[in-house]
Amino acid sequence: MTQPDDPDARLAAAILAGLGGVENIEEIDPCTTRLRSLVKDPALVDSAGLRRAGAFGVMTHGRVVQVVLGPRVDTIASDLADLM
Amino acid sequence: MVTAGAHGAEHKYLAVRAYLTELVAGELAVGDAVPSERSLTEKFGVSRMTVRQAVDALVTEGVLERVQGRGTFVAPPRADFEMRLTTFGEEARRRGLTPGADVLEAGTRPAPPHVAEALDCEPATPMHHVVRLRTTDGNPMSVEESWIPVHLVPGLLDDGVPESLYGALRAHGLDPTWGEETITAADGTDEERERLQMRGTHAVMRAARRTFGGEAPLMYSRACYRGDRYSVFVPLREARPTIVPRTTGTPRAGRVFEGSPR
Repeated sequence: MTQPDDPDARLAAAILAGLGGVENIEEIDPCTTRLRSLVKDPALVDSAGLRRAGAFGVMTHGRVVQVVLGPRVDTIASDLADLM
Repeated sequence: MVTAGAHGAEHKYLAVRAYLTELVAGELAVGDAVPSERSLTEKFGVSRMTVRQAVDALVTEGVLERVQGRGTFVAPPRADFEMRLTTFGEEARRRGLTPGADVLEAGTRPAPPHVAEALDCEPATPMHHVVRLRTTDGNPMSVEESWIPVHLVPGLLDDGVPESLYGALRAHGLDPTWGEETITAADGTDEERERLQMRGTHAVMRAARRTFGGEAPLMYSRACYRGDRYSVFVPLREARPTIVPRTTGTPRAGRVFEGSPR
């Protein structure tokens, strides 16, 4: 599913894994510098893993998880959609 | 047509504008020159004023840009930043104002916890710390406090506080490329109102910003703008469609879910 050569696809896959996998995601809202996701179970979110994948911050409020990525949100949104 | 004059001109203006918009979207690339006013005048059989009005509108929208003495060109897209990543000095100059800075404090300090967190470093990491009163045409506009990790640019303040911190970072190969800013309304403290020479209203806007250069946080800054002299301009665009897993059934493109912070 992932193309190992494509850093955007790799990042998208790592983010989905960090959010607890596709099964844990209700929706992802791509903003300019952040992905705002609604997850089913916030306990499955791996903040440290998301940081390691390249996130500049992870904020969780209830079931909403914000992942700060910068302008790369623009380029990985389609990769995320492909993987979901 | 009863009101041929007015409606005709309006129609022609829109036609020129639509033509240019299409050119920009299709044939032309960023930095390409758009057809001359004269050729557009001839092509559409309209007055130079109508052509200029159409070009002006696209310049205002940021689709085209005028370069003095050279002509009008396709502007670079500005989609990357919601609010522009510019400095106080750059913003002031673009409004025809002369920016100034009075340095209130400058030195090296250990990062307080909130700064360390914002810059993703260990607490007490050495930081360049600068507090400046920013002025336009000599009038106080904001108090700005900036923190930059010393290890990024050890000699940043050796020759005094540079006129532009972004400029100094760029000069050291650390180009600010993106950032995030949070703006909050508040009552200014006595010290802030004194520094900003505020009489009357106590209202201020506080802006906290993280500036990044590619993969690294470069600077954390907090500014306090006086509420009676400053407005924030935010270009808006349509939100991207929300992504939903295919397995959960019907896609709800563009839907804003309840409780989603925006």
